[in-house]
Amino acid sequence: MRTRAAVATALASVGILIAGWQSGAHVSETGAATSTSLSSTGSSGTTSGGSTSGTGSSGTASGGSSSSGTTSSGTSTATSGSYDGSSVQTRYGTVQVQVTVQGGKITEVKALQLTDAENRSAQISAYAAPVLRSEVLQAQSANVQTVGGATITSDAYLTSLQAALDAAHF
Amino acid sequence: MPAMAPSAAAGFRQQARRRWVRADFITFLGWLSPVAAVSLWLAYGGASGFGSFAAATTSIGIVAGLISMDLVLLMLLLAARIPFIDNTLGHDRAMKIHKSLGKPALYLLLAHGLFIAIGYGAAEGLDPISESVSLWVNVPDMWLAYISTLLFVAVVVTSLVAVRRRFPYEFWYAVHLLTYAAVATSLPHQFSVGGLFAQGTWQRWYWLALCMATGSALLYNRVLEPIFATFRHQVTVSRVVRISKDVFSIEMTGLHLDELSGSGGRFFFWRFLAPGFWWQPHPFSLSAEPIPATATTPGKLRITVRILGEGTARLARLKPGTKVAIEGPYGMFSTAARSRKHVVMIGAGIGITPLRALLESTPFEPGDATVLLRGHDENELFLGQEIMAIAEARGVTLYHLTGPRSPKSGSWLPHSAQQAGFTLASYAPHIAEADVYVCGPAGWAGKVIDDVKAAGVPTEQLHYERFDW
Repeated sequence: MRTRAAVATALASVGILIAGWQSGAHVSETGAATSTSLSSTGSSGTTSGGSTSGTGSSGTASGGSSSSGTTSSGTSTATSGSYDGSSVQTRYGTVQVQVTVQGGKITEVKALQLTDAENRSAQISAYAAPVLRSEVLQAQSANVQTVGGATITSDAYLTSLQAALDAAHF
Repeated sequence: MPAMAPSAAAGFRQQARRRWVRADFITFLGWLSPVAAVSLWLAYGGASGFGSFAAATTSIGIVAGLISMDLVLLMLLLAARIPFIDNTLGHDRAMKIHKSLGKPALYLLLAHGLFIAIGYGAAEGLDPISESVSLWVNVPDMWLAYISTLLFVAVVVTSLVAVRRRFPYEFWYAVHLLTYAAVATSLPHQFSVGGLFAQGTWQRWYWLALCMATGSALLYNRVLEPIFATFRHQVTVSRVVRISKDVFSIEMTGLHLDELSGSGGRFFFWRFLAPGFWWQPHPFSLSAEPIPATATTPGKLRITVRILGEGTARLARLKPGTKVAIEGPYGMFSTAARSRKHVVMIGAGIGITPLRALLESTPFEPGDATVLLRGHDENELFLGQEIMAIAEARGVTLYHLTGPRSPKSGSWLPHSAQQAGFTLASYAPHIAEADVYVCGPAGWAGKVIDDVKAAGVPTEQLHYERFDW
């Protein structure tokens, strides 16, 4: 009986590991696809009305925020336009967002770059980004809850966003 | 006295077979759980995380953490006194496995911290120490994980045999309770930081389910069930009877004791609800089969206690009428462990008393049971008179093995018996075909077990429970 248990355990272990590994290989492929589509949306420019920027591919790892939006007025109040946030380095990759402000409201948040160091990170980004975006649009600030299981990505996302909002004097 | 049905012997064999299938099943699940943890990690792309030094180190750290968590949950389940595990492995063996997992779990936990610090540090160009500080300061929930690690180190270190001996039981027990805090503080970072148990993944549900199941098992079996049992049975001390200078019996009354029938020889944790006593649970075996209430007399329970320290000495002063909270019965020192028609019981000192209860209740034909009692002299064969009476009534072969121990050879037999050339086979010639129950001090019992195994008794037929912590 002892041998029977040992054999059953060994066989089941090997089976389960292979099953996990195989489905993991599958996830890797879809994960790669996800990260591709993310970066393509990142470089497609802004969509919402107002001044466009088209600097989606600004991969400069600058520490500060670079406003590439065309500012319509030079006042210190929130200015309509699109603003790139700072690039935030994380151990999973670089995160940078772009915010569109119009009429004193945040109308769009777009991820220019998201964590994609590994397929797993791309996956996490893929679900965390939409959640963060809708939270931010609702709260109208970068002061929202991080997404469970994606704390690091969330923090970087919100840091970058805050830099963009600062640049917009929002 | 219970009579044995003709099919009892076949019944015992079948009962033992079923028990071994259950044991195999538990072993199977136990080994499979860390494998499942690794497999789930692979299923979410774990295998792709070995591309660089930083990624590979981080991946190793993650796997170490996952397996460590799995082992900790297994340890908690083994200590949860789940009836299925207790009826299969016995409390004693479950705790032995529990203990053997402690160090591996701790080493994996430390490896987890170390590898993650190196891996994350390499990814960010920081040395592991700066990375650790940065994790502590910058990442939410991580400071809790550091505290958790310290608590786990404290729990395992105080459980090491060498360290444990220097402190009283109460100290070890209090530190061991910190395990719950250690697990609780380790959970937040697992579900928030890693991204491993991310929302919407199977992995998150798997680990949540595992944690919830473990928590529920602990809550039910270690808290709720004992409370139910305490209220249901209403155990109350009726009197304390001196048996010798340092041994006394505590007799108790209770309700619904028919539900505890067959638990003679098994043990409970007793908590005497009196000032100065209530906070300490004492593990003691029943020294008599529970007697259900009749129309005129209340139900009775009895334990027999030897004074081993201050804690047990004070129990002799318990007042009649003291309420008792109970947890149990636990252990395999019962008919549930039987696998053969013949039975041999070998006991010494206070270890004789659970055998007295078992001998009273377990089924056998006249002539099929042999009892060997070891003590320095007749006065040390506690409850010897009662065992004699049962032996006469049920046809038991009974030997009193008294006298000083052998000075050199370290035999479990008295010096005189050994000099005369007696061995285990002299007393129990058919022992290889019997269930053997051994109960006594650890050193002595170890020698008995060696002899019993040498006599050709397979492990399945050997029933032994340690009573030290």
